[in-house]
Amino acid sequence: MERAVPLAVPLGQTEVFQALQRLHMTIFSQSVSPCGKFLAAGNNYGQIAIFSLSSALSSEAKEESKKPVVTFQVLHFSLAHDGPVYSMVSTDRHLLSAGDGEVKAWLWAEMLKKGCKELWRRQPPYRTSLEVPEINALLLVPKENSLILAGGDCQLHTMDLETGTFTRVLRGHTDYIHCLALRERSPEVLSGGEDGAVRLWDLRTAKEVQTIEVYKHEECSRPHNGRWIGCLATDSDWMVCGGGPALTLWHLRSSTPTTIFPIRAPQKHVTFYQDLILSAGQGRCVNQWQLSGELKAQVPGSSPGLLSLSLNQQPAAPECKVLTAAGNSCRVDVFTNLGYRAFSLSF
Amino acid sequence: MSSESSKKRKPKVIRSDGAPAEGKRNRSDTEQEGKYYSEEAEVDLRDPGRDYELYKYTCQELQRLMAEIQDLKSRGGKDVAIEIEERRIQSCVHFMTLKKLNRLAHIRLKKGRDQTHEKVDAYHLQLQNLLYEVMHLQKEITKCLEFKSKHEEIDLVSLEEFYKEAPPDISKAEVTMGDPHQQTLARLDWELEQRKRLAEKYRECLSNKEKILKEIEVKKEYLSSLQPRLNSIMQASLPVQEYLFMPFDQAHKQYETARHLPPPLYVLFVQATAYGQACDKTLSVAIEGSVDEAKALFKPPEDSQDDESDSDAEEEQTTKRRRPTLGVQLDDKRKEMLKRHPLSVMLDLKCKDDSVLHLTFYYLMNLNIMTVKAKVTTAMELITPISAGDLLSPDSVLSCLYPGDHGKKTPNPANQYQFDKVGILTLSDYVLELGHPYLWVQKLGGLHFPKEQPQQTVIADHSLSASHMETTMKLLKTRVQSRLALHKQFASLEHGIVPVTSDCQYLFPAKVVSRLVKWVTVAHEDYMELHFTKDIVDAGLAGDTNLYYMALIERGTAKLQAAVVLNPGYSSIPPVFQLCLNWKGEKTNSNDDNIRAMEGEVNVCYKELCGPWPSHQLLTNQLQRLCVLLDVYLETESHDDSVEGPKEFPQEKMCLRLFRGPSRMKPFKYNHPQGFFSHR
Repeated sequence: MERAVPLAVPLGQTEVFQALQRLHMTIFSQSVSPCGKFLAAGNNYGQIAIFSLSSALSSEAKEESKKPVVTFQVLHFSLAHDGPVYSMVSTDRHLLSAGDGEVKAWLWAEMLKKGCKELWRRQPPYRTSLEVPEINALLLVPKENSLILAGGDCQLHTMDLETGTFTRVLRGHTDYIHCLALRERSPEVLSGGEDGAVRLWDLRTAKEVQTIEVYKHEECSRPHNGRWIGCLATDSDWMVCGGGPALTLWHLRSSTPTTIFPIRAPQKHVTFYQDLILSAGQGRCVNQWQLSGELKAQVPGSSPGLLSLSLNQQPAAPECKVLTAAGNSCRVDVFTNLGYRAFSLSF
Repeated sequence: MSSESSKKRKPKVIRSDGAPAEGKRNRSDTEQEGKYYSEEAEVDLRDPGRDYELYKYTCQELQRLMAEIQDLKSRGGKDVAIEIEERRIQSCVHFMTLKKLNRLAHIRLKKGRDQTHEKVDAYHLQLQNLLYEVMHLQKEITKCLEFKSKHEEIDLVSLEEFYKEAPPDISKAEVTMGDPHQQTLARLDWELEQRKRLAEKYRECLSNKEKILKEIEVKKEYLSSLQPRLNSIMQASLPVQEYLFMPFDQAHKQYETARHLPPPLYVLFVQATAYGQACDKTLSVAIEGSVDEAKALFKPPEDSQDDESDSDAEEEQTTKRRRPTLGVQLDDKRKEMLKRHPLSVMLDLKCKDDSVLHLTFYYLMNLNIMTVKAKVTTAMELITPISAGDLLSPDSVLSCLYPGDHGKKTPNPANQYQFDKVGILTLSDYVLELGHPYLWVQKLGGLHFPKEQPQQTVIADHSLSASHMETTMKLLKTRVQSRLALHKQFASLEHGIVPVTSDCQYLFPAKVVSRLVKWVTVAHEDYMELHFTKDIVDAGLAGDTNLYYMALIERGTAKLQAAVVLNPGYSSIPPVFQLCLNWKGEKTNSNDDNIRAMEGEVNVCYKELCGPWPSHQLLTNQLQRLCVLLDVYLETESHDDSVEGPKEFPQEKMCLRLFRGPSRMKPFKYNHPQGFFSHR
């Protein structure tokens, strides 16, 4: 008899190509819609997919929970960028996505109606370069209705969302910038980059006010991993950052590391959540830390490495309050509560 | 007392008297017949009117006499008695007269009654006759009413047409317009006229036909006389044909042989010949095998029956001896079931580089499927590399020409039932001997099998064959060429040389330090068990029809293992690489984003490595690309400041930036003329 090999379905040329493309897909960025019911995800092929969280989470979808991949609903799928989509944020009407050099705006309302025409696109004034620098991080500053872009050209650009003009440039990093974080109270922005420094900027004066060179602190330095700061989050006087150096909780005013979290793998995303710190990076798990440094839980996801976490806390859609995680696969894992991966959305 | 009442009373009296009188008369009847008859006759003679007068008179007389008697009696006296006696006598006479008259009246009455009876009878008879006559007439009327004329069955032309076409002397419009009877008559006349004309025409046609038949006869005779002359001309032209290399006669002979092909092979033969003539002059089609055997198959079965009965008898004798060896019988049955038609069709496909793909198509009569055996011959003798063992083997060279068509399973669902009978588990045990029953072979032969449903009547269909001929032939050619190209590449790869051709040189930098050191085949099972190939297996890309290889690329202390899945559909389906780097620990796609990116570079971005069409150099280019990628990976690895000594791999490649993006990609993209590396 013919040997039954599971999954050995013969594939044609296009199927093989599609399978390979999915296999090598990386989802860099996620953003929840202002209504809280949809999730946008951008991948390394420059595609943005919109998933309907509400229908994937509805009770009807749960009946088919044996096949979680099918429950997602791709509302919109278009070739948005030429290069990867590294970062996305949502304003109350727009989805802003950035990748190779440009930031593009899309109307949420139109995308949900499957209209995939960009609203506008802007390119920060780069100094000359052979290669167009990428944009790794976007940050909304709601108080002054502006957007901060940072990435390959080692600078922070501020763009006025009202007029679309670039208002200031913050220079100081010596290598490209990975991540940004906003301090809620004072108009200050933190940035972390490949050069291993976390810099604190005052937006009013456009000056660098503080620099923490993380790799120089022996407690958290890990030279074999490099200096780079891959992720950054802040909460009043506290700041947590990780990357090449170990994931560390800093007291900003005194510039001292208070807690070093015991995890070997470089972390790519970190965020404060209530009294916890959530982090993800190399490895399958979403890590939950107590501020004291204890590992509270490690929840495994479906991707071998994670690059972004997204907490859907939109008050408009309390039923869609989930944690989503994406990274080195074509799947976006959905955690309905912090301790449990319910299902995965898939490109 | 009135006279009337007396009259009334008198008949009573008479009657009361009459009854006994009659009785007397009856007595006297027998005695005096003559008298009775005379009285009867007398009635006719007498006048009833006078009798009536007489009766009146007699009655008056009687009244007078009675009155006189009464008168006399009241007077009394002696002589009175005499006178009374006299008067009595007179009255007696009168009574007699009355009696007589009474009798006469009776007779007359009787006679009158008899006469009336006769009349009534006659009238009744007349009435009967009349009634009968009425009935008959009514019947006649209904018969007339029910009468159907024959003309009603005749289909007449419509009224408008009639008035339009019929000549006025027949249609007579002024008469017939108002009178439907006349109209019908006229129309019938017209019909008759027309039919007469048509009959005339028919006769003419018949004679015409007769004439033409005669002509045909004459021409046939002429043609049949032509045949021997033509034959002689053909015979005479044979040397000329030979001299001029025009094998008309051979083709003719081949067609003659083709008549004995089974339908699917015939379809294949016709379609392949047609395709060869129209599109591909290098395709040669030939029929092999013994025509006589094929003819024998179609002989009337009586001969063979004799044979069989003979052999049966023999068998009966021999079975006693042979009985224990039941397996032998089953073997015979299997052989019978798997029997091929004695004729086969040979296709020779010539490729550009003078290599030839020989295809021999067979038809399994009892299974109703076609099989093919393939053989590749090349212009030059090939040195066969060890790892290329399966590439050109007849068993696998045509595997999966179309996705999933591995040719190990019978395409005819009905066969499974036949196999069950003789204990064949699967056809794949016999394919080496019989050839592969690929699906495309069935389609070229016009055989189409519905899935999952055994069907007895599968007819060879020309259109099916024609629709698949061109694509299949092109696929076959591409397959052979890609296999030969792979064969060549393997020969170099085994010696650690990545044979990049000059037209693909621009894809790579001039200096590549990493070297391919090993290129070996691995078994499918071994591939499945490798720890870093799980993704490919899970994605369903590691079927058992693929070929599996393992490459090892080295640079210094770094060893990059690459597990390669070579789809039989190479090069339209690219080889798929999975990597595992051994350098400062084991790095695979699950723990190193850049290894994952390197896999993506060769697996997803393979299109830029295809080189010039038909991109047979893809595998070589992918391997060379891997060497370049390894160089980039190692040279850009961030130097650990804490470790003393120089870097093992100094950066020689020109890179714009070392890392980029959130996952810190290395600059894997090579920009050709400038020669620097950048990020994708």
